[in-house]
Amino acid sequence: MRRLRLGPVVAVGAIATVALLTPFLGLANPLHMDIAHRLAPPSPAHPLGTDAYGRGVLSRLLWGARVSLMVASSSSLLACVFGTALGLAGGFLRGPVEFLALRGMDVVLCFPPLLLALLVVTLLGPGAGTLIPVLVVLYLPGFVRVVYAGVISVRTQDYVEAMRSLGAGRMRIMLRTILPNVGGPVLVQLSLAAASAVVLESGLSFLGLGVVPPTPSWGLMIGAARATMAQAPLLLLWPCLALSVTILALNALCDALRDAVDPHGMTRRAHRAGILERLAPGLLPARGPALQVVGLTIAIDTPAGTIHPVRDVSLTVMPHETLALVGESGSGKSLTGLATMGLLPSIARVERGAVWVEGRDVLRLDEAVLRRLRGEMVAMIFQDPLSSLNPVQRIAPQIAEAIQAHSAGAGKAAKRRAVELLRHVGIPDPERRAHNFPHEMSGGMRQRAMIAMAIANHPRLLIADEPTTALDVTIQAQVLELLAGLRHESGMALVFITHSLPVVAEIADRVSVMYAGEIVEQGRVTEVFARPLHPYTAALLASVPREDGSLPEPIPGTVPPPSALPPGCAFAPRCRHVAAACRTGVLPLMEVEPGRLTRCCRWSDLA
Amino acid sequence: MLYVLKRIGVSLLLVWVVATIVFLAIRLVPGNPAEILLSQGGVAPPPGAVAQLRAQLGLNQPLGVQYVEDMRRLLMGNLGTSMQDQSPVADEILRRLPRTLELIVAAAILSVLVGLPSGLLAAIWRGGMFDRVASWLAAVALAVPVFVVGTLMIEIFALGLHWAPAGGYVSFARHPLRHLALLAMPATTIAVGLAAILFRMTRASVLDVSMRDYIRTARAKGVAPRRILARHVLRNALMPIVTVLALNLGSLLGGTVLVEYVFNWPGLSGLLVSAVNARDYPEVQGVVLVISVLFVALNLAVDLLYAVLDPRVRQG
Repeated sequence: MRRLRLGPVVAVGAIATVALLTPFLGLANPLHMDIAHRLAPPSPAHPLGTDAYGRGVLSRLLWGARVSLMVASSSSLLACVFGTALGLAGGFLRGPVEFLALRGMDVVLCFPPLLLALLVVTLLGPGAGTLIPVLVVLYLPGFVRVVYAGVISVRTQDYVEAMRSLGAGRMRIMLRTILPNVGGPVLVQLSLAAASAVVLESGLSFLGLGVVPPTPSWGLMIGAARATMAQAPLLLLWPCLALSVTILALNALCDALRDAVDPHGMTRRAHRAGILERLAPGLLPARGPALQVVGLTIAIDTPAGTIHPVRDVSLTVMPHETLALVGESGSGKSLTGLATMGLLPSIARVERGAVWVEGRDVLRLDEAVLRRLRGEMVAMIFQDPLSSLNPVQRIAPQIAEAIQAHSAGAGKAAKRRAVELLRHVGIPDPERRAHNFPHEMSGGMRQRAMIAMAIANHPRLLIADEPTTALDVTIQAQVLELLAGLRHESGMALVFITHSLPVVAEIADRVSVMYAGEIVEQGRVTEVFARPLHPYTAALLASVPREDGSLPEPIPGTVPPPSALPPGCAFAPRCRHVAAACRTGVLPLMEVEPGRLTRCCRWSDLA
Repeated sequence: MLYVLKRIGVSLLLVWVVATIVFLAIRLVPGNPAEILLSQGGVAPPPGAVAQLRAQLGLNQPLGVQYVEDMRRLLMGNLGTSMQDQSPVADEILRRLPRTLELIVAAAILSVLVGLPSGLLAAIWRGGMFDRVASWLAAVALAVPVFVVGTLMIEIFALGLHWAPAGGYVSFARHPLRHLALLAMPATTIAVGLAAILFRMTRASVLDVSMRDYIRTARAKGVAPRRILARHVLRNALMPIVTVLALNLGSLLGGTVLVEYVFNWPGLSGLLVSAVNARDYPEVQGVVLVISVLFVALNLAVDLLYAVLDPRVRQG
């Protein structure tokens, strides 16, 4: 859970405190009428004057706060208790309980809320005693659904199953494991219900169907002040203000809670990608390579400080060549790929370095120029083809769009070309498939469609970010074959991002191994695989299942997060060959043989 | 097609459940319902009147018989007669329903015109000046209850500036211009809160969709930003916006009560309030039933609209 913004908490707390302390403030009796002094201006006894019956406005305002908040808090708390219990029972006991809990809530939801309240008021008569049960029923579905959803998502998880197999009782499992998990959303729901209850209570009281006079209530005060609107407009203003400020505070509390609970809720402000301030010298455009990345460092500003998930990465890929970028998840390989396209997520920014694509520095290009480069000179294939395709658009127009973005040609021609491309990437019956939506295709077919989209304009450079990870092994082989074939016939350069070494062996000419944001080893695939010069590469190779049947050795430990990098070599904590020198200072990437680079200071001992 | 049939079936089922609940509600209240309905201010009603009302509401027969009779009557479109003046409830509802719908539709159009573009702009310029000001305004608009907005509008625009009449109703056929002038304030009052909700939803939805993988794909293809917005972002962002709009329009079906009361607009909810005040149960029952049926129908319309907007739904 993130940190909760304190402003709204303080505001709601202050309003509640004032309401609680009202009886001790020595205010005039809010029910005492004094017709002789009706609509009186402010006086020491009545700092905000008096209403049409000569009652103190300030006093009624504060006592009204007690009524509003009492109704709101008791109804939302009761709804929370009952709703949580019902949601837990429905989610855990299943069967008829589940059915009744969920369908019952559906029934409540098919009445507009105010209407249901009015129906009950007709039957039971107005008053706080009617209002609270009605509001409880109205807010019940929210809690039931939130808790039920929480139980369902937790129920099947391993640790709950484990506890059950250890013989823990159902009740204990519910209370121990599930409640803490749904606590956040329930809290949000609670604040929503409280805010909404204040609105409904005041509305019903305004109509004379909520709190009964002479009990002070903001809704009643507003309703009454309408009669004297022309003579005493301020009388209207105070309760309106009190009510609106209270709701504003409660709403702000809801938002703050939601932001604190929901990790996706908060959107950070976008960084201006802009021109890099610190332009390192000596970054001349290199001729020849399809892609040249020079000293690329990517920074992300987090609340805890700036982290660098990619540090000083340099790569060169020639036309016709395939470079594999290998590493565990979190090694920075995907970010490197995205930076090459100028497509870094908005929270990330390039701090140093340059990316030359066909002689142009992608990082310093105007977005409009960069856009024309993307999809034309350099294209990208993403890991998950389902989420990477627009779910509400058919396949052919999505491919045609890539063509039309770079040529003024007619839509018809682009559509025909899209079908051609689908055929080219080996999709059977392309005329029919062109009209499919992404969800109507298999995973392998979707990935082929992605590839068709990427090669539509014969790019000079293709970045493939784990294009086979989401696919099963046979399909994976077909996709690799397809990519190899395409590269062969068009001469494009290919950067293949993957964590799978067997895939690297199959497709790549050279390999760059990344670890914790840095390149730790680079060289020709055959050489690196035969004789790794970095302990991490060696460990990766040892962790792959062997054909001879000997057991793979997993690498102990995990990749350190970019916020907690060890000093010296980032791999040192997991390394078998670690020496004192590894734990201090900066370790440079050394070219130890022509075309072979390693960041290990003990490389000669390894070899 | 199966999806459509299934949704229609569920909706019919819900209408039946609603009718049953409304039927049961009065009969399950502890005590003698006729007596409760007739008692005003703690004064016991005369026994003769109670007996008469029991006979009129059919409360003397067994529950099962009453239920079958009630449902049969409803199927014929007969909503009973008002306890106040013995007139058919259905007639009064039919006369007032269009006025309430007019109010809701006008408010919906206004709020869409304001909420959608401003939400979109706020998402595009997120963190900028426009976004901050608009988000703040929306927060305020959400915090002020409709009856407060309405009352303040009367105070400012009718009593203060004399720009618009304080309330009332004239039919369009008689005085088209006056009708629209009278419609403006109540419709705007409802639209304030609705526009704020739409603004927030549009902003959030557009931001959410902008971060999806397929938007990145579109950018990777080199598609122009304006086209990405129109073809990919808006289309996908529309679903949650439509949901929120429909849900809120639904709750407006009962929620115009306050606005109609403030502006003296003789709509369906005004009928409801007076019926509640007079404890006229047949009339309350009729209005609640009609509104709930409209509510269910609206939800059905949303579900069907989903199928149009999102091809994935059609399968399920």
